[in-house]
Amino acid sequence: MTSAAPRVAIVDDDVLVLRALDRLLRAAGLAVETFSSADEFLQSRRPAAGCVVMDLSMPGRGGLELQRALAEAADSRPIVFISGQGTVPASVQAMKAGAVDFLTKPIDEPRLLDAVRAALEKDRVLREQDAARAAITSRLLTLTERERQVLAHVVVGKLNKQIAAALGTAEKTIKVHRARMMRKMQVDSLAELVQAWTVTQPLRD
Amino acid sequence: MDGHPATPGLISTRPPRWLAPVLAVAVGYYLAARLGFTFTLKPYPISTLWPPNALLVAVLLLARTRDWWWLLAAALPAHLSAELQSGVPAAMVLGWYASNCSEALIGAGLVRAFIPAPLRLHSLRNSAAFLLCVVLAAPLLSSFIDATIVRLIGFGDSPYWDLVSRRFFSNVLAELTVVPLVLTWAAAVGSGAKALKPARYVEAAALAIGLLGACLLVFEVPHSGRQTSPALFYIPLPFLLWAAVRFGPVGIATALPVMTLAAIWGTVHGLGPFVSEQPHETARDVQLFVIAVAVPLLLFAIALDERERLERDSRAQLTHLSRVATLGELSGGIAHELNQPLTAILSNAQAARSFLASKTADPELLAEILEDIITADQRAGHVIDRLRAMFKRGETHFEPLEVNVLVREVATLVHGDLTTRGVQLDLRLAERPLPVKGDRVQLEQVFLNLMMNGAEAMAACGSGDRVLTVGTLATAGKVHVNVVDHGAGFAVPPAKLFEAFYTTKPNGLGLGLSISRSIVDAHGGKLWASTRRGGGAAFLVTLPSLPKG
Repeated sequence: MTSAAPRVAIVDDDVLVLRALDRLLRAAGLAVETFSSADEFLQSRRPAAGCVVMDLSMPGRGGLELQRALAEAADSRPIVFISGQGTVPASVQAMKAGAVDFLTKPIDEPRLLDAVRAALEKDRVLREQDAARAAITSRLLTLTERERQVLAHVVVGKLNKQIAAALGTAEKTIKVHRARMMRKMQVDSLAELVQAWTVTQPLRD
Repeated sequence: MDGHPATPGLISTRPPRWLAPVLAVAVGYYLAARLGFTFTLKPYPISTLWPPNALLVAVLLLARTRDWWWLLAAALPAHLSAELQSGVPAAMVLGWYASNCSEALIGAGLVRAFIPAPLRLHSLRNSAAFLLCVVLAAPLLSSFIDATIVRLIGFGDSPYWDLVSRRFFSNVLAELTVVPLVLTWAAAVGSGAKALKPARYVEAAALAIGLLGACLLVFEVPHSGRQTSPALFYIPLPFLLWAAVRFGPVGIATALPVMTLAAIWGTVHGLGPFVSEQPHETARDVQLFVIAVAVPLLLFAIALDERERLERDSRAQLTHLSRVATLGELSGGIAHELNQPLTAILSNAQAARSFLASKTADPELLAEILEDIITADQRAGHVIDRLRAMFKRGETHFEPLEVNVLVREVATLVHGDLTTRGVQLDLRLAERPLPVKGDRVQLEQVFLNLMMNGAEAMAACGSGDRVLTVGTLATAGKVHVNVVDHGAGFAVPPAKLFEAFYTTKPNGLGLGLSISRSIVDAHGGKLWASTRRGGGAAFLVTLPSLPKG
């Protein structure tokens, strides 16, 4: 993983607006890159970290379509929408699809900076969670088949005796598997194990 | 006077503004009086046609009320120098000046009481005021004044009622011929008479020759002594009608004096059908003939002109209405179009403030920021300028224009609307300028309509297909503008699209295309519609190109 500073991508078809927002964010000490169309943005290299500030209405592919395209490409960069007119349906759709904020032009500096910082923070948190998830997943992969079976029973609260019965083996053997599994998962308690295991599970509504 | 030298600043080298009107009134009055004398049928002292009074009325009707007094005063020296030559006693000369002024004041004063502005003979209402006040009341009332003055001074021995009636008819005739002539020409010159096409000059010349020929035939032949055929009087009539129908109030107001002068000149010289043993009967006959012809023809020409003007007005009103409706539809897009530069200005200014506060501002960057702020401001200003022009209901004004410039301006106006609709504009403009002659606002209205229709037609398209192509092209003597969309096209015959009130939009007026076509027609061009094979509609505007130089 690179340690490059997070970058804010701005997508707006209006060059004057694009340049102005670029300067505004640079003045606030942020690293910025600019794109004058959705297609240009999609063709660019994805930075290690950052967020996207994009215009809702652009000729050709508009902001909502770009948001969809990013989701399909598993690009999780948080999005701040900016729009000439605050049309309610569009903003609802954007927020439902996970946008951080929806600002109407002309945008006041503090509002924009707050939104961008919130987006960057969200990005940071997401990336940390990703990293944690990745670590636990790699630990899970070190478990043997039998250790994984034991884990599955442990996290739903089964006792060693019950697990032994279910797997058709001695309680003593289960104890050994369980200790080895706990060590490999780098956890000291049942609570820690459950928490780590939960992180790897797909989210449910 | 206190003996101090005048302040230099108060001395103007230019002639004072009142000088020209005063000289015009004096010279005009003098010449009109001399002309009046030549129309006197001896031995009667009253002229068959006495134009100076009518000239004064016309001048007063055109002038502001507060200027009337010195305009009448300006006529006095002219009156004296014209009348004193004829050996009439000074008291009578002054008396006539008084009665002439009374006629002008009664006529112009009554009209002004009803219509408090310089009189224009462009409506039946104004014409009725003119006929009642100027042609009827002024000569009638002032003739009583005149006859009374003549009796009081004891000049001549004509009976009172003879004086009244002779002067009345003479002045009715003068008012009827002189005042419309002056008023209609003043209006034509004042409205900046457009350059006429050569064909109109030829027509006017043909009309003049025809009218003069007819007048010669009727009025300038030796009197045969036998009863003249009444049919003869109708010979000038076709030409007068021609003047009224084809050249309007100015035409008939010019043709009538021509015929009047011809008739009176012939009569004074013992020619034509009116000559009889009794000079006053002769004069009466000429006067009644011309009055009987002039009143209906004048009214006819004015009614015709008024109706044309009203039609023109309502057409202009409809064009404006449709334009405003279109701009209303565009309002969201326009808000967007103004919001963009405002955003750029605000963000640039706040960025500059931050740079300055953090001491990281280098002058080059600040100069760039200021440059962008200026550009953004000008862009917003330009949109507002165009909007203001399009919202205004102005007169049609033809001027040399460049079609590429018009298309670009309209593209700026619709840019916001196209953006919110996710439509991409593909401008394919000809590289060389495309000069045409036309009304800027109206032609822009046509392009605006076509581009908005095209954008709306693509609402159901996928984002990649929402492309509006606008191309311009020049061919021999013609300029073409093509607006092509990728929508569903249209299912009805193209002619149906241009019918008024035909619309496919839920909130449409159905006027856009029908008015666009009439605008293009008025520019001597054509507007075509066709469906493209690959889907979508194409609208083609063809205009005659303006020859260079």
